[in-house]
Amino acid sequence: MTVDSTSALHLDEPYARPVLVEGDRDIAAVTRRVCGVVEAPKPPKAWYVAITITSAMTVMLFGCVAYLIATGVGVWGNNSPAFWGWDIVNFVFWVGIAHAGTLISAILFLLRQKWRTSINRAAEAMTLFAVCCAGLYPSIHVGRIWVAYWLFPVPNQMQMWPNFRSPLLWDVFAVSTYATVSLLFWYMGLVPDLATLRDRATTKLRKGLYGFFALGWCGSARHWQRYERAYLILAALATPLVLSVHSVVSFDFAVSQVPGWHTTIFPPYFVAGAIFSGFGMVVTTMVPARELFGLKELVTLRHLENMNKVILATGSMVGLAYATEFFIAWYGGNPYERFVFLNRALGPYWWAYWLMVFCNVVAPQFLWVKKIRTNLWAMFVISIFVNIGMWLERFVIVVTSLTRDYLPTSWGYFAPTWVDICTFAGTFGLFLTLFLLFCRYLPMVAIAEVKTVLPAAHPHGGHGHKEGAHHG
Amino acid sequence: MSPLNQNEPSSSLHAAFGPAPKADASGFSRRRMLQVMGASLALASASACRWEAEEILPFQKRPEGRIPGSTRRFATAFETSGFAAALLVTSYDGRPIKIEGNPLHPLDRGAATARSQAAVLDLYDPDHSRGLVQTFQGVAYPRTWKEFDPFFQGVLAKQRESGGAGLRVLAEPSSSLALAELRRRFAATFPKARWVTWEPLSRSNELAGAQLAFGRAVRALPRVEASKTLVGFDCDLFVEHPAALAAARGFAARRDPHGADVQRVWAAECAPTSLGAVADHRVAVRVEQLLPLVLALEAKVHAALGNALDASLRPNQTAPTGGFLATPAITEFVAALADELVQRRGESLVVCGRRAPAAVHAVVHRLNAALANVGRTVQYVDDAQANEPEPATALAELVKEMESGAVECLVALGVNPVYDAPADVDFYRGLRKVALSIHLGDYRDETGRACTWHLPRAHALESWGDATSWDGLRCTTQPLIEPIFPRRTNLELAAALVGETTLARDLVRAAVLPGASDAEWQKALHDGFVANSAAAFVTPSVARFDTPPVAPRALQPDATNGALELVFAADPKLYDGRFANNSWLQELPDATTKMTWGNAALFAPETAKALGVADATLVKLKVGGRELECAACVVPGHAVGAVTIHLGYGRTAAGVVGGLDEESVESVGFASYRLRTLANLDTALDLAVEATGRAYPLARTTDPAVGDEIGQSGVEERLHELLRETTLAKHLANPHGEEHAGHHPALESLWEHAEPGAVRWGMAIDLNTCVGCNACTIACQAENNVPVVGREQVLRGREMHWIRIDRYFREEGGATAMRFQPLACQHCESAPCEQVCPVAATVHSAEGLNDMVYNRCIGTRYCANNCPFKVRRFNFFNYHKAIDAAGSEVQRMLYNPDVTIRHRGVMEKCTFCVQRIQRAKIQAKNEGRPLADGEVVTACAQTCPTQAIVFGDLADAQSRVARLAADGRAYRMLEELNIRPRTTYLAKVTNPNSAISAGAKSESANGASHHDG
Repeated sequence: MTVDSTSALHLDEPYARPVLVEGDRDIAAVTRRVCGVVEAPKPPKAWYVAITITSAMTVMLFGCVAYLIATGVGVWGNNSPAFWGWDIVNFVFWVGIAHAGTLISAILFLLRQKWRTSINRAAEAMTLFAVCCAGLYPSIHVGRIWVAYWLFPVPNQMQMWPNFRSPLLWDVFAVSTYATVSLLFWYMGLVPDLATLRDRATTKLRKGLYGFFALGWCGSARHWQRYERAYLILAALATPLVLSVHSVVSFDFAVSQVPGWHTTIFPPYFVAGAIFSGFGMVVTTMVPARELFGLKELVTLRHLENMNKVILATGSMVGLAYATEFFIAWYGGNPYERFVFLNRALGPYWWAYWLMVFCNVVAPQFLWVKKIRTNLWAMFVISIFVNIGMWLERFVIVVTSLTRDYLPTSWGYFAPTWVDICTFAGTFGLFLTLFLLFCRYLPMVAIAEVKTVLPAAHPHGGHGHKEGAHHG
Repeated sequence: MSPLNQNEPSSSLHAAFGPAPKADASGFSRRRMLQVMGASLALASASACRWEAEEILPFQKRPEGRIPGSTRRFATAFETSGFAAALLVTSYDGRPIKIEGNPLHPLDRGAATARSQAAVLDLYDPDHSRGLVQTFQGVAYPRTWKEFDPFFQGVLAKQRESGGAGLRVLAEPSSSLALAELRRRFAATFPKARWVTWEPLSRSNELAGAQLAFGRAVRALPRVEASKTLVGFDCDLFVEHPAALAAARGFAARRDPHGADVQRVWAAECAPTSLGAVADHRVAVRVEQLLPLVLALEAKVHAALGNALDASLRPNQTAPTGGFLATPAITEFVAALADELVQRRGESLVVCGRRAPAAVHAVVHRLNAALANVGRTVQYVDDAQANEPEPATALAELVKEMESGAVECLVALGVNPVYDAPADVDFYRGLRKVALSIHLGDYRDETGRACTWHLPRAHALESWGDATSWDGLRCTTQPLIEPIFPRRTNLELAAALVGETTLARDLVRAAVLPGASDAEWQKALHDGFVANSAAAFVTPSVARFDTPPVAPRALQPDATNGALELVFAADPKLYDGRFANNSWLQELPDATTKMTWGNAALFAPETAKALGVADATLVKLKVGGRELECAACVVPGHAVGAVTIHLGYGRTAAGVVGGLDEESVESVGFASYRLRTLANLDTALDLAVEATGRAYPLARTTDPAVGDEIGQSGVEERLHELLRETTLAKHLANPHGEEHAGHHPALESLWEHAEPGAVRWGMAIDLNTCVGCNACTIACQAENNVPVVGREQVLRGREMHWIRIDRYFREEGGATAMRFQPLACQHCESAPCEQVCPVAATVHSAEGLNDMVYNRCIGTRYCANNCPFKVRRFNFFNYHKAIDAAGSEVQRMLYNPDVTIRHRGVMEKCTFCVQRIQRAKIQAKNEGRPLADGEVVTACAQTCPTQAIVFGDLADAQSRVARLAADGRAYRMLEELNIRPRTTYLAKVTNPNSAISAGAKSESANGASHHDG
């Protein structure tokens, strides 16, 4: 991969903002380019290779889940005192990844960050797929999976309701709301593009399917007017969710009384971490995807650089949170809490802690350097570090706190089993399979939205042109 | 039908099902074994007791006193190594489900050891022998009693002609009068035959010591409750001693800090024991050092007493000096102890463990006599086993005879010498020269498999018998159930030996209560013992005797590799190995090491360091040309230069739990008997240890934080708050000091709490009297159908015990002290588990119980995470899976029908024995009266020999538990979390000697440290 010449040119000019769409900036060309991926008779060979691997991993996931359900939670490494292990670590990990999509779609939309347009579709799709992986864990990690629906307030003849004091119940509501709104938001945005695909469809099947999901969109002014109103409302609805869902996830820990969990910093710390990990995953997937599907002109280096800036900012926030935790552990004077933090850094899981600090705090600092920030290989490696680091963060929080809580006689050590590992690997399979299918069958870039940031849409000058930057 | 002529379908069973299927050692798949037992169903439901020999009638008329669905209790007794444990067994619909101590018995008084209680599991154990087996040319054939009886009588008739010249009986020691009578008749019938007694954990040192001191074999009855100073030399007084329960109770009675004359306990021992754990002063010495230590102590005592004593009470020799005796710790210990003993003459008690050399026993007797303790704190009775030859020597002679071919027929009654004989006595080789060997045993064990015949022995709960307890009281054993399979007792086979056909019951009656009326007999059965039958006390006088010279090596403070001492200890759980197939005992955490499913060589940290041995690695023990590779476990407080290993492990034919070569079930633990020879039955000198460095995970329920500095510091920091402790002087000066030891701001709650109900169930646990005997854990396991999970699961930290005993090591002034803290669900009033359960599966009852609703639980495990005590247990698998399987009907009989069996995926924990609460409430309601204090007793509280656990209603200010909760020592653990636990702990109060504690203070200036190991 090399940086293409056009963007290099723009990068050299400090006053000019790089354009959001490169190449021939023609409205029809955008449609051609994006729809071309979907309409190509055959996807690239790499796609076949990739989906073969990822679907095999997905099958492995289903195998592991079946084995788990048939045998018991004991097939995982969970024990006493680590009653939660990789199940919850992975749940929080995937929920965190699910944050970038909504953030990019909703918050950046409200903030009129137009650079979001070419990546929001893929990021939203990743959100949904990550929520699928995340949602899998809480439902299979319970001891009696066949009655997991008791978590929902289903009216029943015994008038048994869930316990509304339990953060786990809040979690059920938070995650399911987030999943629903994310799905609606994503689907809403897809409607005009589905109509484009419908109109360009050459087979009956395509016409029928895209037509069905396009909901009769015909691009009338009234449609556009309502669409944009609805999109704005959904964006406004989704925005608090970005903050709420991971705050509520953090309540699972913060509301308990396990030393190391019971801290008030958790909600903001978790949200920052979630955005951090979400952007990390978007960079990890988009860097190869734009190469694979030839979307370099739509997803430009400018986009990637902006995302790297977000990674740098949130990574530093996370680092600050780590430092604050230690300060409060010392300042708060609670001996159990003080012990937990010392134990994290110097106890049996010291390796996980310091690896986490390296990945989450040290590695993103390289992004201060513009050359690194705009180097595809460098950002790819750093984003991988971010993914690993954020997984380790959840591991450190869940496992180190549980394994050494109040009574030393109950202390233990957590070791995963092969089922833990295969299940986790399988969720990547599921995530990537869904993502590959998405890339092949749905417009990866929001065609209609991208057109609005083309020069053609701003005949009197606009983003990336003569006057330069007033659109932020 | 006559018990001697039962003919049951076990042969058809074998024919129909072939050899038993394979199973592994894990607790739950072994139950597949049960699939073979389906054919025996009819028998399982034949549940009448063996009261009458007549045919069992169907329940057209309900038997007297029997109410369907209610329980009945019968007094009985188990005999181990010749001494009775007096028990009260609960029977539900004719099946025994729970064993408790006999409250009427003067020694046991309602308490029972972990082993006695676990015996109920053996009754239903699928491996417990179920049929006769004849082995011919290496092939096992199922046989019936109908086939065996005429054959055996034929053999005996032939032997009678020769006066029994080729007949030998090898039996366990027994105090049964009925058996003794049969033995007399055996001697008369077969004048040339011999009856040999074999016992791997014999009391021969003790008897030889008494012989040396008194010229007479007597045994000492410690009166712990009468002693102000209790001194133990390598004596596991509260667990291993046959009168442990009485001793523990006596100890507890003297430890009330507000009582008069609080007892002080001193211990000198090798590996930490129950007595050392509660000792106010403890020194760790090797077993070989016991003799110089007691001699030095005796010399000090005599120096203080002067010439007032009778000459016979004075030692002949000068006491050894120097060496380890000159180390500050020992010098101080001996000097302060001697002073105190002299001051408290007549109020002190010196005891000595089974393993100590005979000379130590003798000196201890002399010391007690010199201190005028005899008749006050120690009493003597004549020992019936006095006339038996030393068992190991007798066994060796027998093996020689067997090898010479002089033995034609060997009858082994309950013994297992193929497994537990000294390593240089090759019983197996001898056995191959014996044409006919008959083994009667609970299991088809190593000996059962090597003999030509194996006969299944009835479980004690299926047997008639008698035995005497330590005080000589005659106890009766009565069956609670017809033998589930055709099995016989030692007594019945002995009767067959002499051609006796009288019922076992009548033999027992005639021996125990000759000529008594039916009413007297009924009373004896009801009480479980014959009133006033205890042995008469004797007052033997000490004769002058010499002790063997002290070897110079014994005085060495430490020992180098190659000169180490190897100590063979009885296992607190498996005893000599006979309980190896009992999964409750296998999974019971050892009090000191917290180890389950196995044994290990125990090293002091200093010794381990010197030898380069790491905890949980394999080491090679080499002694006397023999070698054993086994795991190493580092135990703080163990004597330096010695290595202790428990006997009873490494069974090769115990069953699918303990190890069964035939079915490739790996042995549990290491076969330490392989290092034990005739000359080295108790200790072996000149042990060499070779570290291999290979890791061997030990299934410990508490992971030691050894070597982890952060962990250590964490334990140190919190131990004084979790397990509060003070000294008697401090406590008396500030009686509420411990209550207020924890500091926290005023506690506020997020929500309003429900009004406390009219009844508030609560528990009080006295840390001062817990001796760590583990009886509560087994009591709970039996009462609450707590599953066994197996070694692999324990290694993963998934043990299921509802009550556990937390053990801490505390190091002060160079000495290591062990501390116990029994821990079950604390039933917090503001329970953290309840707040986080998303489906409200754990909720509070009106009486303040933290109830677990199994049906509602979906298994998120959040409650367990939020439980600061980690007392919640999760069913990671279906640990009861096999009980639904066809063929497990016998095993299913074990379960307490009042307690739900938990499915996989649900959380469980201590319920404060809610079923017992309900039972007591229903009974009180039926009788139209309020519930009285003490009517509801949880299983753990019921069996606790020291009554350290008290249960009751906190709302009743007069109840025992409420008064304890208001005590100055009372505190609630982790109270600062605002969880308001319903369990109160009473702080431990040590009672150090002021002469030593003053010295220790200056020493502990370098810092007291606690660690968990």
